[in-house]
Amino acid sequence: MRDTTRPLPFFRAARAVFDLSLENMIWSRRSLLMALLVGLPAVLALVYRGLLAADVPTRAVPPMDLYAIIVAIFWICNVLPLMALFHATSLVADEVEGRTLTYLLTRPLTRPAIFAGKFAAYLATSLGIALPSAVLTFFLLATARGWSGLGTSVPDLFRDLGVMALALVAYGAFFALLGVLLRRPVIPGLLFLFGWELLANLPGYLPRLTLTAWLRSLIQHRPAQEGLAGLFGQVQPAGLSLAVLVVASSLFLTAAAWLFSEREYVLDQ
Amino acid sequence: MSDVAPPITFARASRWYGPIIALNDVTIAIPPGVTGLLGPNGAGKSTFLKLAAGQLRPSQGEVRLLGSPAWGTPALFHRVGLCPEADAFWERLSGLQFLTTLLRFTGYDEEECRSLAEKALHQVDLLDAKDRKLGGYSKGMRQRVKLAQAIAHEPDVLLLDEPVAGMDPVNRRRVIDLVRRLGREGKTILVSSHILHEVEAMTRQVMLIHNGRILAEGDIREIRDLLDEHPHTVSLRARDPRKLAEAIVGWPTVLSLSFGSEGEWLTVQTARPDDFYGALPEVALQAGVTEMYSPDDDLESVFHYLVAR
Repeated sequence: MRDTTRPLPFFRAARAVFDLSLENMIWSRRSLLMALLVGLPAVLALVYRGLLAADVPTRAVPPMDLYAIIVAIFWICNVLPLMALFHATSLVADEVEGRTLTYLLTRPLTRPAIFAGKFAAYLATSLGIALPSAVLTFFLLATARGWSGLGTSVPDLFRDLGVMALALVAYGAFFALLGVLLRRPVIPGLLFLFGWELLANLPGYLPRLTLTAWLRSLIQHRPAQEGLAGLFGQVQPAGLSLAVLVVASSLFLTAAAWLFSEREYVLDQ
Repeated sequence: MSDVAPPITFARASRWYGPIIALNDVTIAIPPGVTGLLGPNGAGKSTFLKLAAGQLRPSQGEVRLLGSPAWGTPALFHRVGLCPEADAFWERLSGLQFLTTLLRFTGYDEEECRSLAEKALHQVDLLDAKDRKLGGYSKGMRQRVKLAQAIAHEPDVLLLDEPVAGMDPVNRRRVIDLVRRLGREGKTILVSSHILHEVEAMTRQVMLIHNGRILAEGDIREIRDLLDEHPHTVSLRARDPRKLAEAIVGWPTVLSLSFGSEGEWLTVQTARPDDFYGALPEVALQAGVTEMYSPDDDLESVFHYLVAR
């Protein structure tokens, strides 16, 4: 029996919105582009193995060092934040632009539940794109010179996957907030990524104001840094890093859900 | 939530966007049955409807729906359906999926969703097209599926923004009959339109809105009497406009005739549009009338006339 005096329960509402949003997100051109970008290291790992197999003389970069560079620099610092930027800023913006938000806002759904369902769909989509590529790349590189020692490396893989997931949550939460706060969030988001986040390489307390610094502290396979990062790069305790990222993400998400609840999106349609 | 109050009430409600006043100090109670919200483009109809649907917050005053504030009360939408004006959908979904998805948001289980969705699609004559993607629907079908999603959960209050725009005459008739039937069943239906004849076919109870103010409300016949004193203009494009002019110049309903600059158009002023439209088809066929429109249909001139009175 439906209770028509209350909105749909939070999790039931979020689940229904999740199902609708997931399909729209998975089949978007944005996801296809991101899958190609995120999957690039797997192709690189295949080429690397091909060169090793063919005995082509190369500058000897050990396979796990290459893997470390891919995780720490390519995925955590660049591609995953970009994926978060393009997906999370558009959680609400796509519905506004498509003028379909009205259908969601004229149902007995609380706005935080709508937001939660959409954010969960973003996470499922981006994790579904990123993690398989990471696993494939890991196994291609970890077994490039034989299967010995693989067993000891596998737990590190799980830690890397966890950090990647955390990066998607933290950047996703921040960009989701930017998406409900600003009409055109992409340029400010790019400035944040490739401007503000570079503070992580400076000395002193400033790096603690970036997400990169905390995420970098959690990475197991950390490559040798060069330049400013090599000079000043700081590593924070793992427990503290985890706590900071969880708290920051929660704050960003709460603020985003509150703003979404207060705004009159009909004006934008 | 109490239903004692009229289903939709505006109490000194105003809404402005920066310096622009879209709705100005409106106090009105809308009873059960069908009520037409008539006004020219930009009169404030959409703002009125969006305030009633809780999509906008009043800048001043109060808007209540079924006894609760319209803004910020999502539970209301168990009992309220909105047919928005925008032609917007999740194009990848089929008609049936679109309705079942939205019904799921209203708390029905899968079986109920399907049965209610099919019932609503049947009511707007789209059952045969239920499995086609919305992206492949014609303009009229899209308009009807939008109406279907508004009525599918059998709400007590229906807010319809230009619901028959873009429909062919047969489906227009069908939708008008559906709205009238729902009104007779005791539902509260607010229909916005800028076409007088369209609203007149659905209800006699209308509100006229202009420049953000409710200009008049009541029985459409009273408004009709006012309008009948005002000449109605009809423009006709014909292969032989002179022959058309010869045929109609003697009609008692015709006040004046003038030819357009391009030679194909004839503009007629009539004091009795219903009689004029009734007699026109036969003559129009002989004179080869290819296009007809009434600039008065957008109500703009009628409202200027009413405001000037």
